[in-house]
Amino acid sequence: MPLRQRSVRNAVVSMNSVPLLSVMIWLPALGALVVLALPRQNVAAQRGVSLGAALLALAAAVGVALFFNPAHAGFQLVERVAWVPSWGISYTVSVDGISLWLVVLTAFLTPIALAASWGTVERQERAFHALVLLLASGLFGVFTAQDMLLFYVFFEFTLVPTALLIGIWGGAERRYAAIKFFAYTFSGSVFLLLGIIGLYLLHGQATGVYTFDIATILASLQLGALRLDTGAERLIFGLFFIGFAIKAPIWPFHTWMTTAHAEAPSSGVVDIIGLLIKIGAYGLIRFNVQLFPAAAAWAAPAVGVLAVIGILYAAWIAYQQTDMKRLLAYASVSHVGLIVLGIFALNTQGIAGAVAHMVNSALTTGALFLVVGMLVARRGSRELKAFGGLWKTMPWLGSLTLLLALGSIGLPGLNGFVSEFTVLQGSWRSPGLGWRYTLPAILGVVFAAVYLLHMYRTAFMGETLPELARAPDVRPRELALLIALATPVVVLGLYPNALFGPMQQSVTQIAQGTLPYLASR
Amino acid sequence: MNWIIWLIPAFPLFGFVINALAVRRERDAGILASVMVGLSFAATIVAMVLLEGSPADAKRLTWTLWEWISAGDFRVAFGLLFDPLTAVMALLITGVGGLIHVYSIGYMHGDVRPVRFFAFMNLFVFAMLMLVMADNLLLLFLGWEGVGLCSFLLIGHYFDRRSVPPGINPSDAAVKAFVANRIGDAAMLAALFAIFANFGTLSFYDNPQLGISGYLDQAVAIAGDTIDLGAFGQLPLIAGITLLMLVAVTGKSAQFPLYTWLPDAMAGPTPVSALIHAATMVTSGVYLIVRNHTLFDQLTSAAPWVLVIGVMTAFIGATAAVAQLDIKRVLAYSTISQLGYMVAAVGMGAYVAGMYHLLTHGLFKALLFLAAGSVIHGIGGHQDMRRMGGLRDDLPTTFRLYVVGALALSGIFPLAGFWSKDEIIAHAWFDARSPLAAIILILTSAITAFYMGRQIGMIFFGRPRDPAMHGHESGATMRWPMIVLAGGAVIGGLINFPGLHWLNSYLRPVLQEPEVVYTLGMGVLATITTLLSAGAGYLGWKIYARDLEPRIRIGKEDPAFRYLGDLWRGMEFGWGLDWLYQRVVVRPYRAASVFLSQVVDREGIDGVLVDGTARGLVRLARGLRLLQSGYVRMYALMFLAGVIILITFFALRG
Repeated sequence: MPLRQRSVRNAVVSMNSVPLLSVMIWLPALGALVVLALPRQNVAAQRGVSLGAALLALAAAVGVALFFNPAHAGFQLVERVAWVPSWGISYTVSVDGISLWLVVLTAFLTPIALAASWGTVERQERAFHALVLLLASGLFGVFTAQDMLLFYVFFEFTLVPTALLIGIWGGAERRYAAIKFFAYTFSGSVFLLLGIIGLYLLHGQATGVYTFDIATILASLQLGALRLDTGAERLIFGLFFIGFAIKAPIWPFHTWMTTAHAEAPSSGVVDIIGLLIKIGAYGLIRFNVQLFPAAAAWAAPAVGVLAVIGILYAAWIAYQQTDMKRLLAYASVSHVGLIVLGIFALNTQGIAGAVAHMVNSALTTGALFLVVGMLVARRGSRELKAFGGLWKTMPWLGSLTLLLALGSIGLPGLNGFVSEFTVLQGSWRSPGLGWRYTLPAILGVVFAAVYLLHMYRTAFMGETLPELARAPDVRPRELALLIALATPVVVLGLYPNALFGPMQQSVTQIAQGTLPYLASR
Repeated sequence: MNWIIWLIPAFPLFGFVINALAVRRERDAGILASVMVGLSFAATIVAMVLLEGSPADAKRLTWTLWEWISAGDFRVAFGLLFDPLTAVMALLITGVGGLIHVYSIGYMHGDVRPVRFFAFMNLFVFAMLMLVMADNLLLLFLGWEGVGLCSFLLIGHYFDRRSVPPGINPSDAAVKAFVANRIGDAAMLAALFAIFANFGTLSFYDNPQLGISGYLDQAVAIAGDTIDLGAFGQLPLIAGITLLMLVAVTGKSAQFPLYTWLPDAMAGPTPVSALIHAATMVTSGVYLIVRNHTLFDQLTSAAPWVLVIGVMTAFIGATAAVAQLDIKRVLAYSTISQLGYMVAAVGMGAYVAGMYHLLTHGLFKALLFLAAGSVIHGIGGHQDMRRMGGLRDDLPTTFRLYVVGALALSGIFPLAGFWSKDEIIAHAWFDARSPLAAIILILTSAITAFYMGRQIGMIFFGRPRDPAMHGHESGATMRWPMIVLAGGAVIGGLINFPGLHWLNSYLRPVLQEPEVVYTLGMGVLATITTLLSAGAGYLGWKIYARDLEPRIRIGKEDPAFRYLGDLWRGMEFGWGLDWLYQRVVVRPYRAASVFLSQVVDREGIDGVLVDGTARGLVRLARGLRLLQSGYVRMYALMFLAGVIILITFFALRG
């Protein structure tokens, strides 16, 4: 078993002086332990420690980004420790151009989520902070794990804190929402686990090397050491796909997410850190497209249909939602449709646009969830009808919200447009999809303007309701949070190459893998 | 020195940022905003001088700031272009725009949110300049959507009021404008995708120094390509692209059938109507066609869609303008009608004539709106023409300026509108050989004169109908910009005067259009048109200032309603498109949204599929008694089922 021996030896060699990725992954978890050890009454210390841990993780993530070499396509900053060597399970973490952005996004949103929760958590604030930090650790793990089983462990692990955060601190229907969230996505991950085990066994049978290491399996697939016949490849692809389609969620698997968004704590904290970071879409790229390009090319037309339906269906429904959180939840489902459309365009533009849109839509939609949280804090209601004319009494919040909404609508010059355009451009040029998919998807652009402007017009324009006449404008902490989120909305809109540059090589490599199968059409 | 072209949009952007973030006083905001547009105008002049120095076969200045997008082979520069076509547009935008900014200092005095107003006006000028200066279609689209946004912001200037005259809700009007524009923009996006997919670039022109190829320079090469529409046969590629662009034009330039947002856009302050909804933003569709004329040439020869849309819009807009009672709505429908002329012109391939009318119209329509604003300002905010009457004596300067604007718009010799409009009509009759289009346009010209005569009769002649109303003339900051514009409306025709054809020569590097050869027939046609218009104008004035004047009453129907009935009602409501959209689009869309949400999503997908499956599985697990607690049993059950499937699969394939 030469391959496994090499991987064990690598475990020693590649542990460079500072295991930056591991530091980043485990720092929040460590912070969570420290927070739990603090006295219950000392809220200031809890906030300080948790924010500090999140900021340190952010610093580590920035370090990762600085050490990352954008000229390389493969996995970088590899840290490897054998875990269960007899089964070929290892603790392998590394980043490529795609996971890098999701890591940075997670690191960026965690301190924002923590700071946004201040003053909104009525009970057990200590546990709340600890769970948010644990969730961050889980997300870092998901995006860096390059061992399938390790990935699966982190993938499942993120469910627990999210479900608890919704179930303990959520709205009126929180128990139902939390159970639904957990049961639904957990069921999906069963398929994922089956797919992982199936691939593990097939790889072992073919090469004699039983390993969960993604890079090894990928190399076997690309070098022909492991040849999957069409049926087996499609089956394994399907198992992975079901797991990630539910997690993403792709229409029609989205109902757990709209419920979860609606019942998540009104401050918007869990929405941005727990639900808007797109693990499922990431998994589709990392596993479905990267490992099974032939099956991906085969499935693309069908997945494209689901994606386009999702874009239009969710955007259409969002328009008449009376609950602002539900409105944004459907908006988010619509964005996922666009992301999936880009992934299954299977070309550089589509996938690059999809990754960029994961970042951009999390920023804009997340910021809008925070805005709703601020409105709820002032009015005690999420009903759209309970608001009106806020732009007059709260000019700062009104203007910033408009900017963020325009970013989400896809106004050129702001971030949403660039990724949306790139995705749609990619889908138009994709041999598997083409303009028949793109033209209906473009209608989503109009629908998005309709639902978000409807929300903005109702809440912020019109006559000021008397109940809101004395509502205070943004406080310094709120202003800082919104500006932190609005800054990348503008910067990435004008200079999106900051996003595209580092991912270029990795995306190109993945897209090229699908070329032989698309050309045969 | 080419970097200097960046200063043109940079000044107004700077003004926007400073006004939005730092300025608090009304006076500072107005002066800053006006100075910035003035500087932008000066930079345009400097750029024009520089342009003169460039070689005749490459008359353009370019400057790229940075690479905007680079994803795979999809690369777009953040680059500007300054050529003769851009130059005349930039002159109009910054010139007329600057005058309107100065006017606004007087008009917006004492407004609730003046700083915001000036900030957004500057943002608008910036977006419009980006639109006309972009060196590629994607950056043009930034300006294209940017002006739509500014339109939204400025129409919604009084967003906290439930209603402004004539009974429009400003917030609703703002959203309507944005959404109507977005429908056109969606088509524009599709055109962009089609262009990039087939040409591999979104740049307009080849740029050998940067190694960029431009799609306009390749248009002829792929003239024969087609798009496979499956059951619908083959569509020539360029026809497809230009048809998508045409839809975009109907949104932005308020053409049939997407014009309904423009009359409601009058909810914004009057200078906004003058700048955005008359002189500049709405002309961007015409600019788009002229810029892409190498593509449209091929559509024009194949199918006259652009011409048809333009002529229809010209006629519909003019007839609707006749029956309006609000001073600004008359002008709004008039703008729609005049944009129809421009679109018709470019639809016939008469690009210079279209640009000519765009420029002269920009002058006299801005004048008319500002003069209308001066009337509104002078009588305390009223806009209903039935309340006016006899204002000639109270507002002598405004009256004279209004008449100049009205004569220019009506195409009366020798004012600016006469020259530009008759060039379009002559082109339709003689070159495009489309007598039907020419006759409709001549008729429209007569109707135009009629409604302007009616408007002047109702506002300035007759008796003062509202005894409580006392008009006063506007101050110098408002008067002088109007006087300058009036000068333009009188002599503006000179820019492409027959025999001189300066505009034609200046635009030749871009448009390569031969000079018009003037014939006796054209003179006859022009004489007939102008006589008809003069007669119709006199008639409109006579009826509303003399004959029917005693029957005009505040809050009552227009006296002509008695004679025309339903026809009049149809014109008054802009031929009912709003009514139709409300029933065919808006309400069904809303109802379907509720249905999808409450029935399909809640009961169907979530109820039957998701909860149903879960219930079924739980029941199954309970039946099998595999495990007792919670969701673990479901998990285990599915896992077991999956393992069995996997093993069976691998066993079967041997």
